[in-house]
Amino acid sequence: MKSPLPPVRVEQALRLLPELEVLLPLRSLILSVSRPEEQAQWSSHGPYLTVGKRSVEPAELRQRAAEAAEQVKEHVGALYAAYVEALECQQRGEAGAAVNALRQAGAREEQTGRGEQARAWFETAQALAEGLQDRRPEIEVLLALGALDETLGRHAEAARRYQRALALAEAEFHQAGAIAACLGLGDVALGTGQWTGARAWFSRGMRLAEASGDLAASGQLHHRLATLARRTGDLAPAGEHLRQARECLEPLGEASAMARVLNTQGQVDAGLGREAAAVAAYREALAWARRGERDAGLEAIIRLNLAELHLAAGRLLEAEEEARRAEQVAIAHGLTRRLVQSYLLMGRMRGRQRDETGFVFFEQAIQLCQTLERSPALAAQVYQDYGLFRTVLGSRDEARAYLERAREIFESLGDTLEVEKVREELQQVSA
Amino acid sequence: MTRPASDASAGGSPAAAVGAPRVLVVVAESGILHSVRQWAPELEARIEFAPDLPHAARQLSQGGWDAVVCALGDRPEDDLAWWVDAVRGVPGTPRLIAFVERPSMGLAIRAEQLGVPDLLPLPMRRDDLANALKRARTVESEAPMPLPEVGAVPDGQYALVGRSPEMLEVYKLIARVAPSTATVLIQGESGTGKEVVARAIHEQGPKATGPFVAVNCAAIPENLLESELFGHEKGAFTGAVTRKPGRFELARAGTLFLDEIADMSLALQAKILRAVQEREIERVGGTETLPVEVRLIAATNRDLKEAIAQNRFREDLYYRLAVVPIRLPRLADRGDDLLLLTAYFARQFAERYRKAIRSISDRALELLRSHPWVGNVRELRNVVERAVIVATGATIQAEHLPDELRAAEATLPEAGTRGLLTLAEVEARHIARVLAHTNGQIGAAAEILGIHRNTLTRKMKEYGL
Repeated sequence: MKSPLPPVRVEQALRLLPELEVLLPLRSLILSVSRPEEQAQWSSHGPYLTVGKRSVEPAELRQRAAEAAEQVKEHVGALYAAYVEALECQQRGEAGAAVNALRQAGAREEQTGRGEQARAWFETAQALAEGLQDRRPEIEVLLALGALDETLGRHAEAARRYQRALALAEAEFHQAGAIAACLGLGDVALGTGQWTGARAWFSRGMRLAEASGDLAASGQLHHRLATLARRTGDLAPAGEHLRQARECLEPLGEASAMARVLNTQGQVDAGLGREAAAVAAYREALAWARRGERDAGLEAIIRLNLAELHLAAGRLLEAEEEARRAEQVAIAHGLTRRLVQSYLLMGRMRGRQRDETGFVFFEQAIQLCQTLERSPALAAQVYQDYGLFRTVLGSRDEARAYLERAREIFESLGDTLEVEKVREELQQVSA
Repeated sequence: MTRPASDASAGGSPAAAVGAPRVLVVVAESGILHSVRQWAPELEARIEFAPDLPHAARQLSQGGWDAVVCALGDRPEDDLAWWVDAVRGVPGTPRLIAFVERPSMGLAIRAEQLGVPDLLPLPMRRDDLANALKRARTVESEAPMPLPEVGAVPDGQYALVGRSPEMLEVYKLIARVAPSTATVLIQGESGTGKEVVARAIHEQGPKATGPFVAVNCAAIPENLLESELFGHEKGAFTGAVTRKPGRFELARAGTLFLDEIADMSLALQAKILRAVQEREIERVGGTETLPVEVRLIAATNRDLKEAIAQNRFREDLYYRLAVVPIRLPRLADRGDDLLLLTAYFARQFAERYRKAIRSISDRALELLRSHPWVGNVRELRNVVERAVIVATGATIQAEHLPDELRAAEATLPEAGTRGLLTLAEVEARHIARVLAHTNGQIGAAAEILGIHRNTLTRKMKEYGL
């Protein structure tokens, strides 16, 4: 009897796939349908298993490829429909509705991880909105653009969008828009390490939210203030803001927001050395995440934080298990960024054990950055961590080369905070 | 119409107050809540309530729980996975008892895989809940058995432990082959200890003073494996930031252990063949020829003969590597080595985690013995490590074992009379276990159970699987 053919490794499958934009969904599909071979769990390469070493069955891919193509068709169909709707609205003289249709098309692109395409839709919407007497549609578009730029690591552009949105919202007495703009500006400041600026923006947003009795916004702002306090090492005030955030959000049943708050609570507790409390907070965060609309990205990040906590406490088994769960969630939902972060964590874990084969996680992360995620900031983070891994193993030349690469990328992004950190690490390697 | 349940507790009878198991019942449906409140005195348990998963997570984090009772919703498989995740890591590892509308076969299989032995049908019946809670208490009757002495074995991660006839044969082969520099091919299932044997051969051989360099061919990305083995010159390819010696060079005057050799591409197999035949290599991007001065030991968990037949492995390389073949036995075939290995790992991890583990309970040992050990010694090592970490006293008990093993508890004979299963319950659970093992394939399950597939289908229908 002929024995069945073995499945194909993801790394082999990807090598056969040309790097064409139109094939990106297929690339993601290959990852999401992949699974580890049954015997891999206990084989000696099991601990080093990355997505590239998982297997795909061509027959399964054939079946699922048709589904994926259908989804792509649906997506493109929805974009076409949004465009036609915008055109019809314009014909009827309803330019505000046209802006809304274009903005929604952009949001749809953003949801599927197509940031640049989303930006094109938003910018078209903005150009149309600028000519309107009613400025609210423009505020909405600017807020969407600001959030997108922030996600893509374009802090300066994000800040400009939010500033303009704030100015318009205040002129229009659009309270919700003004609060959202303050939140966005605070986020940009937080992301670039401008703590004073971040505090000022969040506080301004908080005053507006309290004045309008917007509990959800107050909860979000308390959460942001807690995040800021945590970053600056003020853990006691962080805890107090988190308590207030929970008071605002829990009665509203805002499950995802609660999950985020508890995730930060876990980080604060971990910072205070309250391990059991941190574990409990992360577990409750997962439970809230479960109750809300499925947000796999949020689940993955909570699991990564939990893994980080176990790692810091030297509980390597638990750390590995939780990181693997995060990896699984990331693969199943096509969350490349989170997948990369799982591999960085696993790589760091191996570095701690002085296990040289841990380099496979960084190599996989680099490959994912090159082929799927294409985020320079994330790539820089990967090189930085790879450099630190090599430092731990005593390979100074390699460590220096990777850290230099990280520095170059952070510099090109204008991320001074990270550039400074990498410089210090380079000095330590050279010392 | 449903309303959220309150956190109020139902104390039960006075007898239930002290020493009775503490149970968290998580329900939002007022009907169930009302029923459980009414049954509380007869359940001999301290019962508390939570309305949903987030509140339950908060309450569970306080610890001290013996069991959690939950009702699965519209997506029961997904729900079950979340509940298992929520209960895992809770201090004391409470037992999960899940109720669901019409448990499907898929769900029963998933429950087995997740280690949830108590998957019960809704509407909730008092007797079902009472029996499940009784089963949760059986751990009380576990008897400790001292761990045996393992004898003198080398310290560290790489000791060979075992006295079974199968292992004695392996020891003889190692003793015979070690003094030479012959190439050795070690074959065996995952986790049987191929690297341990390779190290033993190295340490007892003429190159013992040299390095032992292990390369896991299946772990390293295919495009990097060549440079890992042979090294590279600076700039040989993108990412070659410095000149780097390969593992062949690093293992000079020692042993190079190529693990999972079958996972190498044919192109790389040709290069390995050249290195073995010519005894020389070149770094990637280099022109200098370097001598190969290593003893080569290869290992695989695959059937290389089959790989050759499928044109996935070079026949000439196989014969070059399999000068001395050694086949390692499965843990399931090693009889009482299981107990020796358990004792060895328990002592090793007890020392690492500063615990005073001296015994294992009869029930825990029974669970270890009834497990199929597809991951062999590596899986056992992992299980014992986890048990040592979670154990609080001097004895490893059933509750310290992972869910997958504890799921088999339901089919073990009961130590006491409390929580005994009916014959039908045992049969239903066993069928679910076998189906979980065959991933739901009825034909394969019927074959294992030794019954006709029509009989199995009928029984599955009867038991609501």
